[in-house]
Amino acid sequence: MDADKNFIVGVFDDEEVLLTGIEKVRGNGVKIHEVYSPFPVHGIDDALGYKRSRLPIAAFLFGMTGTSIALTMQIWMLGYDWPMIIGGKNFASLPPFIPVTFELTVLLSALGMVGTFFIVSDMKPYKWPRQFDIRSTDDKHIMAIDLAKNQSIDKTVLGKILKDAGASEVNEKNFE
Amino acid sequence: MQVSSSIRDPLITGGKTVKDVSHDISRHVENKPANLWYLAMAISVSLLAYGLYCVWMVLWNGIGMWGLNKTVGWAWDITNFVWWVGIGHAGTLISAILLLFRQKWRMSINRAAEAMTIFAVICAASFPLIHMGRLWLGFYWALPLPNAFGSLWVNFNSPLLWDVFAISTYFTVSLVFWYIGLIPDFAVIRDRAVVQGNNLRAAIYNALSFGWQGGAKTWMRYESVALILAGLSTPLVLSVHTIVSMDFATSVIPGWHTTIFPPYFVAGAIFSGFAMVLTLLIVTRRVFKLEDYITIYHIELMNIIIIVTGSIVGIAYITELFIAWYSGVEYEGYAFYNRVSGPYAWAYWSMMTCNVISPQLFWVKKIRTSIVATFVLSIVVNIGMWFERFVIIVTSLHRDYVPSSWTMFHPTMYDIGEYLFTFGLFFTAFFLFAKFFPVINMAEVKSIVKSSSEKTNQDASH
Amino acid sequence: MAHQVTVAEEQYVFRPETKRKLFILLAVGVVLLVLGLFMAMRSSGHDEHGGGHAVKAAEQLVASADASAASEGHEAGGHAETATWLKRLYTTLWMNNVFFAGLGIIGLFFITIQYAAQAGWSAGVKRVPLAMASWIPIAGILMLVLWFLTHHDIFHWTHSSLYAEGADFDPIINKKAPFFFWPLAGGTFPIFFIARMVIFFGVWYWFLLQIRKNMLAEDIHAGTSYWHKNQVLSTVFLIFFGVSSSVAAWDWVMSIDTHWFSTMFGWYVFASWWVTGLATITLIVASLKSAGYLKIVNSNHLHDLGKFIFAFSIFWTYIWFSQFMLIYYANIPEETVYFIERIKNSPYSWIFYTNLILNFVLPFLLLMTRDAKRQLSTLKLVTPIIIVGHWFDFYNMVTPGVMQHEGGLGFMEIGVALIFMAVFLLVVLTSLSKVPLIGKNHPMLEESLHHHI
Repeated sequence: MDADKNFIVGVFDDEEVLLTGIEKVRGNGVKIHEVYSPFPVHGIDDALGYKRSRLPIAAFLFGMTGTSIALTMQIWMLGYDWPMIIGGKNFASLPPFIPVTFELTVLLSALGMVGTFFIVSDMKPYKWPRQFDIRSTDDKHIMAIDLAKNQSIDKTVLGKILKDAGASEVNEKNFE
Repeated sequence: MQVSSSIRDPLITGGKTVKDVSHDISRHVENKPANLWYLAMAISVSLLAYGLYCVWMVLWNGIGMWGLNKTVGWAWDITNFVWWVGIGHAGTLISAILLLFRQKWRMSINRAAEAMTIFAVICAASFPLIHMGRLWLGFYWALPLPNAFGSLWVNFNSPLLWDVFAISTYFTVSLVFWYIGLIPDFAVIRDRAVVQGNNLRAAIYNALSFGWQGGAKTWMRYESVALILAGLSTPLVLSVHTIVSMDFATSVIPGWHTTIFPPYFVAGAIFSGFAMVLTLLIVTRRVFKLEDYITIYHIELMNIIIIVTGSIVGIAYITELFIAWYSGVEYEGYAFYNRVSGPYAWAYWSMMTCNVISPQLFWVKKIRTSIVATFVLSIVVNIGMWFERFVIIVTSLHRDYVPSSWTMFHPTMYDIGEYLFTFGLFFTAFFLFAKFFPVINMAEVKSIVKSSSEKTNQDASH
Repeated sequence: MAHQVTVAEEQYVFRPETKRKLFILLAVGVVLLVLGLFMAMRSSGHDEHGGGHAVKAAEQLVASADASAASEGHEAGGHAETATWLKRLYTTLWMNNVFFAGLGIIGLFFITIQYAAQAGWSAGVKRVPLAMASWIPIAGILMLVLWFLTHHDIFHWTHSSLYAEGADFDPIINKKAPFFFWPLAGGTFPIFFIARMVIFFGVWYWFLLQIRKNMLAEDIHAGTSYWHKNQVLSTVFLIFFGVSSSVAAWDWVMSIDTHWFSTMFGWYVFASWWVTGLATITLIVASLKSAGYLKIVNSNHLHDLGKFIFAFSIFWTYIWFSQFMLIYYANIPEETVYFIERIKNSPYSWIFYTNLILNFVLPFLLLMTRDAKRQLSTLKLVTPIIIVGHWFDFYNMVTPGVMQHEGGLGFMEIGVALIFMAVFLLVVLTSLSKVPLIGKNHPMLEESLHHHI
């Protein structure tokens, strides 16, 4: 069986049922492909065993890049390339450079992090998502299980596990 | 598990379910707009058209068309600039600072407030741009590019240049923050369009949503992004009005050079921004029937923020007056004496009445929970905040160190026309937003339906 | 909904070992103080060389900018009756009292802000700031006594010769006279100043008593009415505090440099007090937690305290930068003299820069990550840095104005700081041991127990 083609899909109505449900399903040795929700569910990352996002590190690195660019630019332009006395201060006096440095730090940090987020999440305007259930943006939580990755467990057993875990519906979804 | 103490008021009324949220908010995007909307649009667009004529005249003939003179070199333009920037502070404040403080009530109002922020910043930016006179050379004067005669760079010691960086960064980051928030909601509209069989709308909103799917991993990253953007935006909001205040405070002009300006400007900005949010939302909730999401309790909480920031501003006014006396500097002393009793005293006392006295009415619970009173006072506050900037700018300039050059400022129709231009721009943009974008953050509201709606609170109290 | 979690009642026991440690700290402080006094008495009058040059340089700078502004000159020469060592002692006593008074006031401010903002997460830690606030009456009495003891040395404006015709007449200070002496004439008894001091401490203490009474009554009688009562009291307190904290900063700190002024100063002092108070609350909470108390406080609550410290360290830096940058940029001699004194003279200059490292760079870097804010070990590392850093901050606010170039930082200053610290902790921990450590009927407790971020 090809991976990423045939799925069994559990529909959950309530986020607290979902959270206990995930634990039950995973407790049965089932590998969950992904859970789709209309809103962020508190604690779902722990339940699914996801590692904390490393985007903060990206934000920090982009921010530091912004700081360095801003300071280098200002000190070089006003301190070395074309030194000028302004307001009786030194050529490259630090305090007046702080505001621009701060702004560029924030700008690069924000844009860099959001760009990284789009790339790692594979989000682009021309991409149509693969929807397991159209209601996943409305009011249902959708748990997708890749059959190819859970071949040791029978399909009907999987359905029963989902039902026991609190799913209100169990469907099958096949992508060509 | 989220637990809300039983002494908290519900944030969503009417026993709404998660499904209701999608429906109540998406339907305005899907349905044809009401006649009232067309009427409002028509007024805004005609205001914009008249304003554009005034802008064109100023660009064509030069800024001599304004009422500025040698003594009062900054007047309505910078007053309006600071006023709009100030208004543009509430959105990011609500989405960033209140997010960090976990104020759940922000969820119903942050979307519209952020949209307001973005449009207000565009309006604000138009004034210094037009004041450049030759707008088409603006990039060359404001960005770090070498000049034509060698590598003479822009002056990084100038607060006006800091403004360029601050306003553009603030605009960009606010736009990104707002857009990130919109992504999951665009996906809601897309999926509803699929169900309704409207393929064009589905395609457009899918592109807008960047193909959003809502997987747990993406949500996790998404929340991380939102939190860091909030962390970045919080000092950013403070920095923007701080830097605007430094346009004045770095100078040696009495009445401008005072160290309290940065935090005091920020407090004033939040104050006027919240007032503008209230003005807009009181209308929006009524027109779009969103009373269950933007409740009286939301309005009350916003009014409390107005009391707090209004009082901070009041303390700052008194501090300024006190230190002007305490310092013993005669120029400083005169600047304030002139404010209080000079030819522009009417502006000063209008400011005091609107900004310091009128918000104190909100101490009365009846007033702060009254829609009509709130609506009126929110406009009064913004009139007051306009006068504040007018007082700071014009009153400090019009009587400078040389008494022979003392004069008054008289606006021309082009000063007024450009102010109207920004109103036209602002409301046109806001009405377009209200029609085509979901005005309430659905994903966030859905996440608190269970813990903070009226129904569950009754369940909990049995 | 949520199942009820029962909260074990906790009572802090102020054990004799802890008390003994504090008395040892007190003794060390006294020894250092005596040693410092002895050394200062012996060397007094010999060490004028180092700082003298810097002051001259500073005065020249000021003079070159604007000759009329250098009128501070008579402060140095006018009245040298008090020995340098005694002036140093007075200065450090006053400075420490202002610093520790701030910790008490912030204890109360923290509680009131929690009530006013309807905060839920903090329900479990409120008793710590409540205990800190018990320092308020002691700080008030000390402030009054110290004022009468030290005013001629610390507050230049108390000299009556400034207000009378003659060589010492100072037209600028004479103009300020009503702020201190009203309704009396300048140079007599500063009744207005003293009245403010008494009223501020009196009103703060009154609010503390009311709020504490309600908090303790809630423990016994339960119900939400006490919470609502305290919310109203807190709001009223915050209005009063908004004005009184600024005026207190002008009175007790800014008026030391009598000529100098800055509209930001009130908020600057508040920012410094506030972040120190937050650090102290966190340090006490972390220590209690290590000692096995406060079982309901977990890493989520610590995270919030850590975020508070992180954010307000940045806030303090923002206020610091705004004040410094505007004065530096505009370069008006009347204003720059304040920073020139502090940047050009020893030991103020190294403290000036160290201040920024201890109060901004280190907290910013050490508390930036999520994990750092959630762990007792990092919090216990960062909070003392901040407390010491802001002690330096207050040192630099108070000392240069009194001591000019004769200021010192040695055993005497450290000794007095240790004495204050020991007594402060004795009072606070005694107060903490007298009430339950957790308000078991706090209406937000349930929320706080389920707090997860």
